[in-house]
Amino acid sequence: MQSVVLQTVIKLLLPFIQVYGLYIIFHGHISPGGGFAGGAVMAASFVLFAMSYGVGEGFKRLPRLIAQWLESLGGLIYIALGLTGILRGAAFLTNVPEWLGQAGQLFSAGLIPLLTTAIGLKVCSTIVTLLYHLLEEGHYDSQTD
Amino acid sequence: MNHLPVLLVALYLAAALGLPLLGRNKKFPAGLFAVGVAGCGLILAAASAWHVAGTGTYSYFPGGHQAPLGIEITIDWVTVFLHLTINLLAVLVLIYSTADLSRELGGGRAKTWYYSLFFLLLAALNGIVMAFDLFNIFVFTEIGTIAACALVAIRPKRLCVEAAFKYLVLSALGSGMVLLGIGLLYMVTGYLNIGAMAQALPKAFAMYPWNVLVALSLFVIGLGTKAALFPLHVWLPDAHSSAPTPSSAALSGLVIKVYAVAMARIIFQAYGAELFSRIPVPDVILVFSTAGIFAGSVLAIGQTDIKRMLAYSSVAQIGYIFLGFALVTMNGIVGGILHIFCHAVMKSLLFLAAGAIIFKTGIRKIEDLAGMGYRMPLTMAAFSIGALSMVGIPGFSGFISKYYLAFGALAADKPVYVAVILLSSLLNAVYFFPIVVRAFFGHKEKQMTWDRLPWAMTVPMVVLAALTVILGILPGGLVRIAELAAGAWLN
Amino acid sequence: MIAKLISNMHFLTAMVLFLIGFHTMLTHSNLIKKVMGMNIMETGIFLFFISVGYVRGGSSPIAVPGAEGYINPLPSALILTGIVVSVSLTAFALALIVKLYNYYGTVDADKIMQLRGGEE
Repeated sequence: MQSVVLQTVIKLLLPFIQVYGLYIIFHGHISPGGGFAGGAVMAASFVLFAMSYGVGEGFKRLPRLIAQWLESLGGLIYIALGLTGILRGAAFLTNVPEWLGQAGQLFSAGLIPLLTTAIGLKVCSTIVTLLYHLLEEGHYDSQTD
Repeated sequence: MNHLPVLLVALYLAAALGLPLLGRNKKFPAGLFAVGVAGCGLILAAASAWHVAGTGTYSYFPGGHQAPLGIEITIDWVTVFLHLTINLLAVLVLIYSTADLSRELGGGRAKTWYYSLFFLLLAALNGIVMAFDLFNIFVFTEIGTIAACALVAIRPKRLCVEAAFKYLVLSALGSGMVLLGIGLLYMVTGYLNIGAMAQALPKAFAMYPWNVLVALSLFVIGLGTKAALFPLHVWLPDAHSSAPTPSSAALSGLVIKVYAVAMARIIFQAYGAELFSRIPVPDVILVFSTAGIFAGSVLAIGQTDIKRMLAYSSVAQIGYIFLGFALVTMNGIVGGILHIFCHAVMKSLLFLAAGAIIFKTGIRKIEDLAGMGYRMPLTMAAFSIGALSMVGIPGFSGFISKYYLAFGALAADKPVYVAVILLSSLLNAVYFFPIVVRAFFGHKEKQMTWDRLPWAMTVPMVVLAALTVILGILPGGLVRIAELAAGAWLN
Repeated sequence: MIAKLISNMHFLTAMVLFLIGFHTMLTHSNLIKKVMGMNIMETGIFLFFISVGYVRGGSSPIAVPGAEGYINPLPSALILTGIVVSVSLTAFALALIVKLYNYYGTVDADKIMQLRGGEE
C-alpha cells in the first residue's frame, strides 16, 4: 500500500496527531481523556506511518528494542509510583497531599499526571508492538531477535 | 494496616514486566530468578498469614479512599488460605519448570516469556482472591484469563494453539456475562463494593427481583465457564492436557479454583447465604456439580492419554468444590475450601509425576505404563500417593476434605450427596488404581533402576507427596483456617 | 408496554447487541467471525453500562462553573477498563488466529476439526 497521496497526507498529519495525543495524556487529570486515550492516539500515529510506508520504515522510527523498554518501564513506573505511597506510610497508590495544588490547573493533582504519563507510555508502546506484529502476520521469529 | 498482600501483587507484576528486559541478556538465569521471586512471594504470603493470625482480619484501601467510594481489598481467612495455597504451589511448580521447560518450549527466549506470563497469572490469582469489589474481580479475572490462555498457547504445537483459542473464546463469553451481571447489579444497587452491595441488595431484590436474579445466573454461568463447572467444561481437557506440564499443574491446581472462590465470594458475601438459599440456585449448582463429578470420572475412565485423563479428573474434582459451596452448611463449605488446597496439592503432584514420566521416557499412553514402577520408582511412588489421596483413602489429604463434605451433606439434610461422594470415590478408584497396579505389579522388569531425574523435578514431587501424607494425618491447622474462612462466608 | 420499551430503547438495543454477539460467537465456524461476535457482544455491554450512568440533560463530569447535573462518571470509567480488556482479548485472539492459519491454512473451525482428524 505505497501511495504518494497517502504518504504525503500522513506525513502532514503526523505532528498534529502526536501533539494531540500528548495533550490528551497531560490533561488527563483535568479533562476527559488520560493515559489510555492519549496513548492510543499516539500509537495511531505510529501505526498509520507503518501502514503507509511499510513496517520496516516504521521500525526505524520506533525500534523494537525501544518499544519493549517503554512497555516494561511504563508498568514499572506505575508500580514504583504506587510504592511511594507505602514509603510515606500511607496505603498503596496514595496521592501526595502537598502536590495537589489548585483544581483545574495543569500542574495539580499530585501523582495522577505522572500515573497517566506512565500509562500513556505503556499503552502507546503496547499498541504499536501489537499492530506491528499483526501487520507482519506472524513472520517475525522471536528466536532471531 | 499491613501492606504485605498488596506488595505480593506488586512484586509479581513487577517481575512480569521486568523479566522481558532482564531476559535480553542471553546469560540471564530466568529460571532461578523466577524461583527466587516466587520464594519471596511465599514469604510475603506467610508473613501476611502470621500478621492476620496475630491481629485479625482487616480491609485495605489503596489510595487511602474509604469504601464504598474507594477500592476495598479484604484480607480475611479465605484470602490468607488461598494466598498460601497459590504461592506454595507456585514455588514448587516453578522449581519443577526449571528442569522441564527446555524440552517443552525449545531454546531461545521462550522461557523468559513463559516466566513473565506465569507471574502475570500469579499476580491475577493473588488479586482475585483479595478483591472485595466486583469490578476488580472482573479485571483480575481477565488478566488471569489472558495469561492462562497464553501459557497454553506458548508451546509451539498446533494442538496447543487450537486448545488455547477454544479456551479464549469460551472465557471471553464468560467474562462478557460477568460484566453484564455486574452492570445489572450496579444498576439497581449503585455500588460495586461487595460489602455495600450486601446491604443494598435485599431492598433492591424486593423492587427489581429480575435484575438481581438474572445477574446471579450470569455470574454462575460466566464464572462457571471459567471454573469448568460441568456442562461448561468443554475447553478444559484440551487446554490442560496439551499445555506444558508446569502450566497444566498450575492451571488445574490453581486457576479453576480461584474462579470458583470468586463466584463463592460474590454469592456468599454480596448476595448473602440467606438470599442465596431462598432462591433455588444452590440446588441447580448441586445438580450440575453432581453431574460433573460423575461425568468427569466416567470420561476419565475412557481416556488413553495420561494427561488427558488427569484433565478430565479435574472436571470431577471441581465438582466437589462446587458441591461443598452449594450445600450452604458450615461443614460443606469447610470441605469445599479444604478441597481447594488438597486438590491443588494432589493434582499438581499427579501432573508433575506424569510430566516426569513423559520427560524421561516420552510415554503418554496409559497402557504403556506397565512396569514403570521398576523404571521410575520414586516418580511412580509419588504418583501413587497422589492417586490414593484422589480416591480418598483415609490417611491422605483427599480423605479429609471428602469427610467434611459428607458431614456437610448430612447437616444440610441431603444424605443423597453422601452417596454421591462415596460412589464417585469408587469411580476415581476405577481409573487410578489400574495405573498404579500395572506400574508396580503388571509387568516385572528384570532389574530395578533409579529414576535419574534432575533434582529440580524430584524435590517438588517429594514435597508435594509429603504434604499429601502429612495433611492426611495431621489436618488440624488447615481445617482450623478453613473453618475460620467458612465462618466469614456464612455470616 | 410498547411505550415502556421505547423509552428504554437503549437497554433493549444493548441486549439485542449482546445476543447477536453471543449467537455469532457460538454458532459461526469462521474464527474471525467469532472474534467479531465477541466485539459485538462487548459493545452491547458497554452500551448497557453507559446508559445506566446517563442522566438526561446532565453535562460531562468536569467541575466547571455553571454546570448543574452531571452524568455518572463511574460507568464510563469502568467501560474504559472494559474496552482495554476487550482490546487485549481481541488482539490475543487475532494473534492465535494468525498462528492457526499458519498451521492449518484455513480459519474455519469445522475444516480445522476435519484436518485434525484423529490426531491427539
